[in-house]
Amino acid sequence: MFCYMQLMQGNIWLVPCNHGFPQSMTLLLRFQLRPSITIAISDPGEGSEHTDSNSMLRSLQVLLVDNDDVNRAVTKRLLQKLGCVVTSVASGFECLTVIGHAGSSIQVILLDLHMPDIDGFEVATRIRKFRSGNRPMIVALTASAEEDLWDRCMQVGINGVIRKPVLLHGIASELRRILMQGNIVL
Amino acid sequence: MTMDVAQLQRKLREHQAAMFQQGFLDDQFSQLQKLQDESTPDFVIEVITMFFDDSENLLKNMARCLEQVPADFKQIDAHAHQYKGSSASIGAARVKNVCATFRAFCEAKNQEGCMRCLSQLQQEYSLLKNALQYLFSLQQQIKAAGGSIPTQ
Repeated sequence: MFCYMQLMQGNIWLVPCNHGFPQSMTLLLRFQLRPSITIAISDPGEGSEHTDSNSMLRSLQVLLVDNDDVNRAVTKRLLQKLGCVVTSVASGFECLTVIGHAGSSIQVILLDLHMPDIDGFEVATRIRKFRSGNRPMIVALTASAEEDLWDRCMQVGINGVIRKPVLLHGIASELRRILMQGNIVL
Repeated sequence: MTMDVAQLQRKLREHQAAMFQQGFLDDQFSQLQKLQDESTPDFVIEVITMFFDDSENLLKNMARCLEQVPADFKQIDAHAHQYKGSSASIGAARVKNVCATFRAFCEAKNQEGCMRCLSQLQQEYSLLKNALQYLFSLQQQIKAAGGSIPTQ
């Protein structure tokens, strides 16, 4: 069972419970939309699919957090190309300041995990502590290929992962995935 | 007598193709070029200029860390990690590959290996910088002559 979970990039936990039942079980499954389904929903043909995916990301308020100038400039441009409205900052502290600000309209945070002052895991942990619920959505940016990365991310409330170097289709499909997931959950 | 536009365009195509063929650049650089449009006509040159500045700082800092006794391998590794990330995001394939080797030597605390990697990085960086500057100067000449920049 556990092996299946891992193959599906999911996980399984036993959660102790004190309300009469000895314990409950948490299943975490990660489903990916198959391209064939996406095409079936939209009109056939590349052009319409492209418009579809972009309309979902258009005007999305994104906060980009990366301490490297070059990476930040490239990722910012990628997001703008997808129609997102991007604010970018160079550190975890700046990110917390923007998010902590009352009335922040940020919907998604793109967070580099590897940063010198406070890393992405710590930033995500702090955000989830003072902002209730699953908003804003947090997507990790990482060059790491570690196997347990997904687990570590989910345990601190990170909703998605994008591998670096960031590519246009990679960023678009992960953003679409978490947005759809968010709509189902909330 | 100045070269005509068609000749410059051919030169640019050949130079760019050679940079890909010799492994200086990979697909990520093509992606960077696609991100440039009428709203951001200088995007590539701006990002690359930023990359040049950061490269020079990182190379200087890595040299300084290696000169320390004992060498600060942890800090060098952090610089190599950052350099690997920025070179990957602009498609500087050869610089990125040397960074990966560099990190392995840092982890092994191999001073000699690190020194070799640093001088290799300095060399790769200066080759890349010259080649990219030539590429941009060809583009500027074409624009000045009223021509359009050929896409790959």
